[in-house]
Amino acid sequence: MSSRGGKQKKGNVTSEQEEEEQPLQAVLVADSFNRRFFPISKDQPRALLPLGNVAMIDYTLEFLTSTGVQETFVFCCWMSNKIKDHLLKSKWCRPTSPNVVHIITSDLYRSLGDVLRDVDAKNLVRNDFILVYGDVVSNIDVSQALQEHRHRRKVDKNISVMTMVFKESSPGHKSRCEEDDVIVAMDSKSKRVLHYQKTQGLKKLQFPMNIFQHGSDEFEIRHDLLDCHISICSPQVAELFTDNFDYQTRNDFVRGILVNEEILGNQIHLYVTQDGYGARVSNLQMYDSVSSDMVRRWVYPLTPEANFTDQQGQGCTHSRHNVYRGAEVSLGHGSQMEENVLIGRDTSIGANCHISNSVIGNNCTIGDNVVLDRAHMWNNVHISSNVEIHQSVVCDGAVVKEAVHLNKQCVLAYNVVIGPNLSLPDGTVVSMHHPEEEEEDDDDEFLSDDQEVGHSKDKTRQKAFNPAEVGPEGKGYIWKASMNDTEDEELAQCLWGLVLNPDPESDSESEASEESQDRSRSVSPEIDDVNAFQLEVLGTLQRGLEENIVCDNLVLEINSLKYAYNITLKEVMQILTRVVLEYPFQQQGTQLTTLQYTGSLLPLLKTWSPVFKNYIKRAQDHLDCLSAVEELFLEQDTHQTAMVKVLMKMYQLEILEEEAILKWFSTGATNDKSRQLRKNQGLQKFIQWLKEAEDESSEEGE
Amino acid sequence: MGQLVNSDNRMPGADKEADLTERIEAFLADLKRGGCGTGPIRGSGETARETTALLRKVTAQARWSSAGDLMEIIRKEGRRMTAAQPSETTVGNMVLRVLKIIREEYARSRGSSEETDQQESLHKLLTSGGLSEENFRQHFVHLKANVIEAINELLTELDGTTDNIAMQALEHIHSNEVIMTVGRSRTVEAFLKDAARKRKFHVIVAECAPFCQGHEMATNLSKASIETTVIADAAIFAVMSRVNKVIIGTQTVLANGGLRAVNGTHTVALAARHHSTPLIVCAPMFKLSPQFPNEEDTFHKFVSPHEVLPFTEGEILSKVNVHCPVFDYVPPELITLFISNIGGNAPSYIYRLMSELYHPEDHDL
Repeated sequence: MSSRGGKQKKGNVTSEQEEEEQPLQAVLVADSFNRRFFPISKDQPRALLPLGNVAMIDYTLEFLTSTGVQETFVFCCWMSNKIKDHLLKSKWCRPTSPNVVHIITSDLYRSLGDVLRDVDAKNLVRNDFILVYGDVVSNIDVSQALQEHRHRRKVDKNISVMTMVFKESSPGHKSRCEEDDVIVAMDSKSKRVLHYQKTQGLKKLQFPMNIFQHGSDEFEIRHDLLDCHISICSPQVAELFTDNFDYQTRNDFVRGILVNEEILGNQIHLYVTQDGYGARVSNLQMYDSVSSDMVRRWVYPLTPEANFTDQQGQGCTHSRHNVYRGAEVSLGHGSQMEENVLIGRDTSIGANCHISNSVIGNNCTIGDNVVLDRAHMWNNVHISSNVEIHQSVVCDGAVVKEAVHLNKQCVLAYNVVIGPNLSLPDGTVVSMHHPEEEEEDDDDEFLSDDQEVGHSKDKTRQKAFNPAEVGPEGKGYIWKASMNDTEDEELAQCLWGLVLNPDPESDSESEASEESQDRSRSVSPEIDDVNAFQLEVLGTLQRGLEENIVCDNLVLEINSLKYAYNITLKEVMQILTRVVLEYPFQQQGTQLTTLQYTGSLLPLLKTWSPVFKNYIKRAQDHLDCLSAVEELFLEQDTHQTAMVKVLMKMYQLEILEEEAILKWFSTGATNDKSRQLRKNQGLQKFIQWLKEAEDESSEEGE
Repeated sequence: MGQLVNSDNRMPGADKEADLTERIEAFLADLKRGGCGTGPIRGSGETARETTALLRKVTAQARWSSAGDLMEIIRKEGRRMTAAQPSETTVGNMVLRVLKIIREEYARSRGSSEETDQQESLHKLLTSGGLSEENFRQHFVHLKANVIEAINELLTELDGTTDNIAMQALEHIHSNEVIMTVGRSRTVEAFLKDAARKRKFHVIVAECAPFCQGHEMATNLSKASIETTVIADAAIFAVMSRVNKVIIGTQTVLANGGLRAVNGTHTVALAARHHSTPLIVCAPMFKLSPQFPNEEDTFHKFVSPHEVLPFTEGEILSKVNVHCPVFDYVPPELITLFISNIGGNAPSYIYRLMSELYHPEDHDL
């Protein structure tokens, strides 16, 4: 791993120096552009949240530095001042740092796309660069991947634009983020990504056939990959983001590249590693598991006792069963630190406590008879006696009074006071910010810090705390009272990730349905878009006919519409087919006879055949077009006899190939109706004729 | 090295200092990242040389007027270096050696012999408190040159250690013997290769899971046309009855004569004791550390559990705790002989070597 890598790295550096003196650069995006960590990230940007008592961004920078990055651009947006302060104080900004860190802040970044467009606009990168988020924890040695990437770019000029780093880990691993669960189809030899899809809990996945029809003869479809969110990018990536202003995330980019592969000729590759560790802290679920992996030394050498941030007094000692103790830790009589415990400096723990699998920050005080299991306590937390905390996050300055019971997945945000004598149910989130104030701020979430703070202060004064929720002496507002409220459930999902309880029994039914709903919500909100697109296409074609516009221009217009409405190529074709076939009805009413219909349609088909030809190229396109035709005629069942004529015409105009038609005819039938359709006499004759024609042509060929 | 110093001389003073701190930082960073378990990136010999070279640079470039100042500077840098990777004791050892050199040179400049200073009786120790430190305040013009000269001598010594050990091979390895070794040690490799020039013998290498450095060792040995067999660690006891001698390397020789050596060495040592097979440890002097085996926290080194139970395993990982320690402690009574660059010694003699190499006041930085 790192040792071997170290050697390689040195070797690389010398060999590269011969070729190019360019230092390796990295772009670090210190903003998540989502609100998964709200309300915690209301007070502190995500990149600065402590993981094992070290800010997450430090892990990312250490990772970059150890891979040999010499220049890093840190882009911050949300609370950029805090990040800037942190970095200026850290070892990365010392003059001796081998990795020069540039901090670039702007309140205008709203997505990864914006950042990369800015990278392009400012012309920051000159060579291949590493792109990571500020919450990636990794010790993967990417020099091998970098070498492969460079080699590929040298061999076939600039075709490969991105190499994504994935780690092998089988499904069910706790450090696999449910949201990032991907299925990737790749070419085994060239490691080229052919298809990339988030599974999102789907049970059924579809792969377009055409991806397997060219290239080499070995393919892999893999589900055992963990996305490390580390990508090696060519400078073109920034340009591509500029060219395609609709790209917001890396996911958009990858899909865009794959869809437009034939047009733009860009490819994306994959680097799969077995060694090392890499994960992105994208929600609290991941926070929990990455933190426990770190304490269990999976990220070696980035372990707590290594003190890689080189801060005074941060050092701690490591003893058996992964118990780490900072300086000046006092432990009461009879207290046990069972295993995987990290305790920061100046923390004192009372008597008869049981602590396991927990991380406790600096300057915390913990009373007697406290039970902590999978608790994440940050700095300056006060816990009184007889408290029990299970799998929860307690942020800086929070106070937990006597006999409070925190059940699983509770979150106490900054400076909250809870208790005494209270039991918080599963998944309770308490914050000093009122949830309603939050909603009001929703529209302008990118307000500057000062404004935010001002707002919140006003509001806290206005609203009183509810003692039933946070206890008689409590301070704070409950963000989520019960699991039944749908809106709140979403919030819990936001914080802890989709799968709330890891046992496989419970998540099978409910989760699946939930996720599929999610999917229908998130993936196809384009229903309206599709309709709008259809109308637009119709309008375009009409105009085309009236003003006698050349078909090439029509294609251009439809293409731009496609981007405007974010419609896939397949949908474009289906909609186009539909619009054309319905055109006579649109123009002359639905009461047409079959004869009239065909009479007006066939000339149209002839006029627009170049448009069709532009979209129908691959075998899959033919089938899609045919199924669109079939669908339409199933609806217009009075005109079924016209279908043969349409198909015939399309065949003659060379829009459709005979092979495709035959294939569609033999395999396409999925339900009774379509089977019925295929029994149509005219159609059967047509097929017969096609078959014979094929036989003849093949005989001639021989 | 001479080249480097020359190029430095051309730079203005500020740059020189920045350059020095940069090199120290780079060295520290390297140490911190050092090793995923198979040991550090470089051999400990190289680490020793690099540390010494850095300390020489510090001596040459830092601002100091008396030996006391210099020792304070060296101590400060030494503390940082040892903290960077506590398991890499060679670094600390070299710092102690340099401190000892400074003491000696100071004493020589003063005209008194260091020998008398050191041989304090128990009575003297009790009556006189720390009087030594203020004695180092005197200024000597040639001290700097002398110290650098002495450090250069130390560097020459370090360069020759492996060869010095390998030269003794013929005294220990005889024809047609069966030798067992464990894992990979550069010193043992050189030792066996040297013997193979004149004698024919058989080497059995325990593979030393989970890092399996033994495989690399076996490949290297067989390239030197030594008859080599690799065995699994579980077979060590079974094979031991046929073995004439066990020759191993170590990471550290502890002050009590015990070893901190790669995982699996303890197994080998116990099996050897059971069969009364002699156990020879090839260890250069720079691996001798004033540390005792009771300092629990820094003594062990745990690395990523990946090699024991791969990350790809999936679900099981959330249900188990996996540990992957790197070192074994081997108690001194299991060791027959140490072969260092200055000859063979029994474990019981280690205390004497210790007092020759390091000054007792320096033992903890």
